[in-house]
Amino acid sequence: MIYRKRGAVVRWENGTIVRVVESGLAVEEGERFECRPEGAAPGQLDPDSVLSAVEAIRERVRPLLIERLIVTHGRSEHECEDRVWTEETERFHLSIVRGTNRAIVDSTTARMDDLAPIARALAQAGEERDPPRHLRLAPCVTAALLPSLVNAPPADARLVQTAGGLDGYGHPVGESTGAPWPNWYRPSYRSRPVRMPLNLRLESHQTELDPDLPLALALLGPVHGSSARVLIAGAGSVYPATIQVSRVAAVGGLGVWYPYGGGSFGAEMMF
Amino acid sequence: MRGRLVESRLDHGQALEDDGAILASDARDDALVTACERELARLRPALPSAARVRLVAEASSEGISSAMTVRVGGLSIVTTLEHVADDVRLLTSCTTGVTPVPRRPLPLLWRNGSAAVLLHEAQGHALEHGHAPLSLPEWLRVDIPLRMRRATFRDVPLLRMTHVRAEQRHAPFALPDECIEVHLVEGGTYEPLTETVTIRIAAATLRGEALAPFVMVAPRQALRFLGAQGEPLRYPGVICSREGQELIVESHAPLLLTELA
Repeated sequence: MIYRKRGAVVRWENGTIVRVVESGLAVEEGERFECRPEGAAPGQLDPDSVLSAVEAIRERVRPLLIERLIVTHGRSEHECEDRVWTEETERFHLSIVRGTNRAIVDSTTARMDDLAPIARALAQAGEERDPPRHLRLAPCVTAALLPSLVNAPPADARLVQTAGGLDGYGHPVGESTGAPWPNWYRPSYRSRPVRMPLNLRLESHQTELDPDLPLALALLGPVHGSSARVLIAGAGSVYPATIQVSRVAAVGGLGVWYPYGGGSFGAEMMF
Repeated sequence: MRGRLVESRLDHGQALEDDGAILASDARDDALVTACERELARLRPALPSAARVRLVAEASSEGISSAMTVRVGGLSIVTTLEHVADDVRLLTSCTTGVTPVPRRPLPLLWRNGSAAVLLHEAQGHALEHGHAPLSLPEWLRVDIPLRMRRATFRDVPLLRMTHVRAEQRHAPFALPDECIEVHLVEGGTYEPLTETVTIRIAAATLRGEALAPFVMVAPRQALRFLGAQGEPLRYPGVICSREGQELIVESHAPLLLTELA
């Protein structure tokens, strides 16, 4: 099996613009995987869209300290056997800091409307507390949790691979609800493809959410299994707490795609 | 893996820096590629057979380097051609137990140069972030130079450690009745917002009994250096990851005894 990729990426990383062009070839024969550059790179991408996104993000989180901001725009062409496809991505990774709290957001540049509420909440954050018994999770928090829940899905909900797009071999991504997952994730030609769920979403029979419940609106650290430290806003106060998702009460409507794992659709959720 | 080649990657490129921007491409320099191939050929005869092994050779305008990562069971080391035999012997002599680490606070005796990992996190990363150096006893000297380094031509250079070298001079060394002996470390992190050090200890013993892997988490200011002994020992295994850029940091430390305040 031979896979080829040609791509260009422009990246803004904490103040430095990095423009990369490269192309490469990956060969899989049984258990053996080999890859190498091919020297047929496309032209450089213009940095304008990345610079605009950087300004938009800065505007939304001002005056908080930006600890890390990486904005990327990538365009790539893929070829695997007789299948040819293209892909374009515009993403960012942001961490903003106040005191000893750090809010982390991974998202697409098309989805920045949750940044200002997160920044406002972080600016008001008080002392760490125990989490409330019942809570809503914002779409960006749900999306971050889903890839970690694959091996231990919460009760009363099911994880579903959402149909749409192509996988690392150029095969259509189909609807699927469990292992063995039918599709493969290949983030780079230098990575051996991994069988895993893509574009995950969480489904529950209950879709009605209680808007009066406190809302976990941002991650304050990486997800560990079904546990995460989050920023919670509710009843006039904002505070960090560590939550453990074991039972889902309801999942809201259409999700928003986030670049966690092999892709994750975050919808508002209640547990 | 166990004597079979399962993965092979060639990566080459060039980065041109221009007015705050980096232009990178996968341009090939035949001389550098040849140098890497020569280095890999030098390493291959020393490959341990009953292990998962990763060889990495790098050639750049800054020189040639190579490393061998060897994993047996749940334990791993990072070594070189010169040290592979000794380091694999150390690796296979270490075992992971099931006995949980006691809850009561115990001093830690860092063997095999593993104290360099503790100092890497508590002192080295703190310096990278512009934090004040640790208050060290006068018998302990820690040399951690920093310079701009990058993992690949795609990366932005960052101020990073080049090596960690701890030395003791006339240090006290009175072993307590009971202490945990650290043999191999799986990794560590430094949280710059709270100045907290986390060390994941892979192989340790208490009174000769192997302990289950455990994690030490402490504010770096809580570290107390009680004593040390001997010459600095090369610790086989510090691949430092920051901002997704993995770099090898040569690490040496003597036998060191610590506790948490």
